[in-house]
Amino acid sequence: MSVNELKERHMEATDTLNSLRQQLHQKRLLLLDTDVADYAKSQGKTAVTFGPTDLVCCRTLQGHCGKVYSLDWTPEKNRIVSASQDGRLIVWNSLTSQKTHAIKLPCAWVMTCAFSPSGQSVACGGLDSVCSIFNLNTPTDKDGNVPVSKMLSGHKGYVSSCQYVPDEDTHLITSSGDQTCILWDVTTGLRTSVFGGEFQSGHTGDVLSVSINGSNSRMFISGSCDTTARLWDSRVASRAVRTFHGHEGDVNSVKFFPDGNRFGTGSDDGSSRLFDIRTGHQLQVYNQRHADNDIPPVTSIAFSISGRLLFAGYANGDCYVWDTLLAKMVLNLGSLHNSHEGRISCLGLSADGSALCTGSWDTNLKIWAFGGHRTVI
Amino acid sequence: MPPGRGSGVTDVDGVPYSFAREYRGPPIAARDLPCAVPIKVDRIPVASVSQGGVRDKLSLPVVQPISAADFAKKFSKELELGSKIVISPVSVMEFEQKDGSDDDCVGKEKDGLGSGISVSTNAVSVLEEARGDLGNFAVSGELSSSGTLELGEGQYGSSEFSDVINSSTELETPSISHSIELLAGGGSSGTLGFSDSFDQSRELSGSSVALRASNGCKESLDFNDLTQAGWISTESELSSEYPSSRKTGSCIDETTCDERHTPVVTFLDVESVEGDISEEYRQVKPDIVRLRRESEVKVRKGACYRCFKGYRFTEKEVCIVCDAKYCINCVLRAMGSMPEGRKCVTCIGFPIDESKRGKLGKCSRMLKRLLNDLEVRQVMKSEKLCCANQLPSEYVCVNGKPLCNEELVTLQNCPNPPKKLKPGNYWYDKVSGLWGKEGEKPSKIISPHLNVGGPINVDASNGNTGVYINGREITKIELRMLQLAGVQCAGNPHFWVNDDGSYQEEGQKNTKGYIWGKARMKLLSAVLSLPVPSKSIHSSGEQVSNVTNQIVPDYFEKITVQKLLLIGYNGSGTSTIFKQAKILYKDIPFGEDERETIKLLIQTNVYGYLCIILEGRERFEDESLNATRKDKLSESCDNAEDGVSLTIGEKENNNKSIYSICPRLKAFSDWLLKIMASGNLEAIFPAATREYAPIIEELLKSEALKATYSRRSELEMLPSIASYFLERAVDILRIDYLPSDADILYAEGVTSSNGLACADFAFPLPASDDSFDTVDQHDSLLRFQLIRVQARGFAENCKWLEMFEDVGVVIFCVALSDYDQFGRDGDGALVNKMLLSRKLFESIVTHPTFDQMDFLLILNKCDLFEEKIEHSPLTQCEWFNDFHPLISSHHRTNNSSSNINYNPSLGQLASHYVAVKFKRLFSSLTDRKLYVSLVNATEPDSVDESLKYAREILKWDEERVNFSLSENTMYSTEASSFSQ
Repeated sequence: MSVNELKERHMEATDTLNSLRQQLHQKRLLLLDTDVADYAKSQGKTAVTFGPTDLVCCRTLQGHCGKVYSLDWTPEKNRIVSASQDGRLIVWNSLTSQKTHAIKLPCAWVMTCAFSPSGQSVACGGLDSVCSIFNLNTPTDKDGNVPVSKMLSGHKGYVSSCQYVPDEDTHLITSSGDQTCILWDVTTGLRTSVFGGEFQSGHTGDVLSVSINGSNSRMFISGSCDTTARLWDSRVASRAVRTFHGHEGDVNSVKFFPDGNRFGTGSDDGSSRLFDIRTGHQLQVYNQRHADNDIPPVTSIAFSISGRLLFAGYANGDCYVWDTLLAKMVLNLGSLHNSHEGRISCLGLSADGSALCTGSWDTNLKIWAFGGHRTVI
Repeated sequence: MPPGRGSGVTDVDGVPYSFAREYRGPPIAARDLPCAVPIKVDRIPVASVSQGGVRDKLSLPVVQPISAADFAKKFSKELELGSKIVISPVSVMEFEQKDGSDDDCVGKEKDGLGSGISVSTNAVSVLEEARGDLGNFAVSGELSSSGTLELGEGQYGSSEFSDVINSSTELETPSISHSIELLAGGGSSGTLGFSDSFDQSRELSGSSVALRASNGCKESLDFNDLTQAGWISTESELSSEYPSSRKTGSCIDETTCDERHTPVVTFLDVESVEGDISEEYRQVKPDIVRLRRESEVKVRKGACYRCFKGYRFTEKEVCIVCDAKYCINCVLRAMGSMPEGRKCVTCIGFPIDESKRGKLGKCSRMLKRLLNDLEVRQVMKSEKLCCANQLPSEYVCVNGKPLCNEELVTLQNCPNPPKKLKPGNYWYDKVSGLWGKEGEKPSKIISPHLNVGGPINVDASNGNTGVYINGREITKIELRMLQLAGVQCAGNPHFWVNDDGSYQEEGQKNTKGYIWGKARMKLLSAVLSLPVPSKSIHSSGEQVSNVTNQIVPDYFEKITVQKLLLIGYNGSGTSTIFKQAKILYKDIPFGEDERETIKLLIQTNVYGYLCIILEGRERFEDESLNATRKDKLSESCDNAEDGVSLTIGEKENNNKSIYSICPRLKAFSDWLLKIMASGNLEAIFPAATREYAPIIEELLKSEALKATYSRRSELEMLPSIASYFLERAVDILRIDYLPSDADILYAEGVTSSNGLACADFAFPLPASDDSFDTVDQHDSLLRFQLIRVQARGFAENCKWLEMFEDVGVVIFCVALSDYDQFGRDGDGALVNKMLLSRKLFESIVTHPTFDQMDFLLILNKCDLFEEKIEHSPLTQCEWFNDFHPLISSHHRTNNSSSNINYNPSLGQLASHYVAVKFKRLFSSLTDRKLYVSLVNATEPDSVDESLKYAREILKWDEERVNFSLSENTMYSTEASSFSQ
């Protein structure tokens, strides 16, 4: 078989694939008679309202001297780890806003960080294409640096996102600019599975974020520059379980809905979307119309514990609180007193759901929580 | 923004996002209803995290010490919670105890439990409940306990729950658990943080419970929960209105406990059990925990244990484990080679007799006679250092808690360790670093803030003065010293003494003075045999070995380095420039290990190149054979002018082409290619190096390879640098090959192991004054950071380029010699490499991050280029198709114009032309000026020059001097004019 013949067949196959994809899209549109917001409205639901003190900035975590790129909460304790362009990871006590650790990184261009489920160690990754693990209990060396306890190297591109498998300190999933996601065994430092990459079933662009299902830790979602999000079963590395189309820009952030059956995405096209992993349908688009055509990309998203609220950080410094049921923007943290001055690059909810932490390019992190006075019963 | 409603109002239609859930718990008696007294928010102390060591196992969250109180000493009993306290599946309680004292309590309540509970917002119900349980609390005044602030520096375990109840531990716990029940009943699930501060005093008893609660309500809005106190900000204006209360209550003995306690909280049992354990610790002298190993042999007193000869005064060596004594004749037989020092062979591996610890490493005269110096030294060294002879950590009790191994190591390796640590009970004041034997005055000041042992007890030094330092009642002699030091000790104050000797009264912020500040204090302390802080405390106080106790600075110094970002398409020589810079500016550019890995890398590379050539050889062989066949065919058919294999036409048309090799070499090459294809070249390598060296040599010498090599420009996989190594392949593939700096410079892949490499450097001071502008001292000390990123993944919308917005100059590297080479673009199509470079250049230049950034274009590999341009026209690249210099005419025009001596070669003309092309492109994209530098990356001087040029660009930028740049740039517009 000559090269030309192969090329032709490849073209044919691509065409077929595209037409099938189109058909699928048409069919989906046909089946999609309503979205969440319309249904909720028809049920007479009203949007959540926020009092002036229901969500206020309670703490400003100051100390980084570079853009904050990523943050993560401990599952149990009120601690936060943040990664910044100054080449440091800082572990904060969110209640007191004090720093408990400051870890100087060998490579300053860090993009992501994560707390292990036990809170004993933190992982980070960045342009050095390595995911480094730091044990917070190891004593510092002479210069006061925490030594790297494990280097997970194997990615061929930058490490864009990492997350520990819930309740397992020994496994974590990273996503990378080499179009793959990798499940690592932290103890051995070896790759357990590689998702995508050589096999053409994976992402066709840089993978920017991962989110592991909280209720079934075998499933995880990845969002990529190829404008899709993909659902993976960590036992089946060969192909994605499902691919979710819909966005028109890079998918910057994916996050599982608390119930584990849905997930949200945030994209460069300025919209956040809610997808159902069982049906593959897109349930809702969260899109704010802007007067000018300047649509700021969504940089990061997070759900409240109940799932009723979706927090979305935007590149222009806004942070919207969406009512997920009614697709209505109910609060803009960017317009509040004491808000960030730069792009919101990351946000995360504490494990108990009582506080939201946002990290920004203005080098600060802020903690938002209920700040009012309440009469009970 | 939705209109603000009264927070906490349950939504009318009962949708599941109500702000507070209705209380559905059991009915509450009227007297139990909450009432709260506001506290001043600014007086709520803030705690720092205390963690590490044992506590980490507990994974208990952070603690907020809020108030402190005093407890009757006679009632005191310390309990330790050794396990995680889980109250309910969804909530976690945190407890922290602080030893401390609250002056407010003093004198108000006697013989009672003064309990200050401060709970914010809605958790007040808890308070009230607790109050009911604990008995008659009297609300007493404002909470003033900022003294506990420093207490929270992490010296005290977050896990210990020290309870101060005389006979009924159960009495208080139900009350606490009850309060938690209430919280839970309030529809909340989340994290509770308790922090208690207890202190012991003889006259007073009081306790304070500070409760922090932050809960997330599952079905309500997350932020509108019942007990959000934890998040109340000190920055929030509203927070000052917070209801909270502080209550001091009466004696526990009188408490009538509410028995309505639910099983929600179940730390009760743990507590009492642990309490017993810790009580045991007090009583048992830990010295005798392990059985002493006795010698099995029973002998007459004074005799040798082996030969049974000798008498009392015979010189003997003693086993440090079993106390067996051996005479000079038997020692070596009984003790053998003494791998762990002076131990009987049978005792090896056993811990030593603690009474002999002092003798460790001290050689006896007998041994010196038996062994030579070196042997003695070795035996003594191993005796001192082997792990079996180390002090077992559990023998050392600090503040009533046996140490674990890590703690002992911490203690012994701190900058100022306790000297000659013997097994026993010690107390340690973590704040000031005071150290002493249990029940005795301080003996030494060691490094403070070590994370060892439990919290200090009030009666640690058995004092009876009523004066307290960091929660320890001091001894008379210490009081004496304080008085002599001029410290006001009237009224039995509670002092807070830091490691530098500064002291303050508890609850107050300002430092009153320095205890050891005056010179005579040293003398005084010596007289009273009290310790003074050693100097090293101050110098190395920061470098406490345990990270958790390290004080993390509020802000980090921003290191001012000028960043130079080096970008280029694959094979453009960014790596070489990077390495060259390292060699140029670093004292030790590559370490030993680095060189070793580089050596392997180079050797592997050479095999790789060889494989590419062998592959090419096969291809050429096929092509040439095909061509010969086709030629024959075309002779017959007359119309086979495919043109595919034009170059082959001139080759001879036998069945055997020039590219064929003999069968033996063929077999080897096939094998090598197979290995290569399977991707485990590293597996057979470098073991195979020696074995295959001759055959490789032979291969390289073969005509076929030479012919292939001459057509290497067609092998797009083969990097141009390969020839450098292939020509020396035989040398390189030797085992003892050591890569020179030049080899490293030329080697591929040295810096590309990861996506990014950076090197800090400073330009060395100019040796001579030949630099045209005066480089002042400051400039030469400027630190630069050269960052080299790989071209891979520069997508259209490259996210991570944003990270480099703080760079000073972007150095874009283009290999001039690329103009006739081809590479594959994203779609796999074969594209001219120069065009690929241009595409990358365009996308980088127009990237929003680099808006208004200075760009320095490095035209690399000009030596290769000049060679190449002679036989391969520049117009091979379609971008340069308007380059048509007529050498002769150019010579003439140039000679006639300005400089008689200026006689540019074709290479120079062409490189200038390319530079102008890029400049035009740049200015069309950005309207700015592109700086260009011609570089041959393998020449140190030229790299140095261009990096200095980058420095100049930065400087111009800084000074905003309106240089006429065209004069300083190497390629003026004049240069561009002639090439057009």
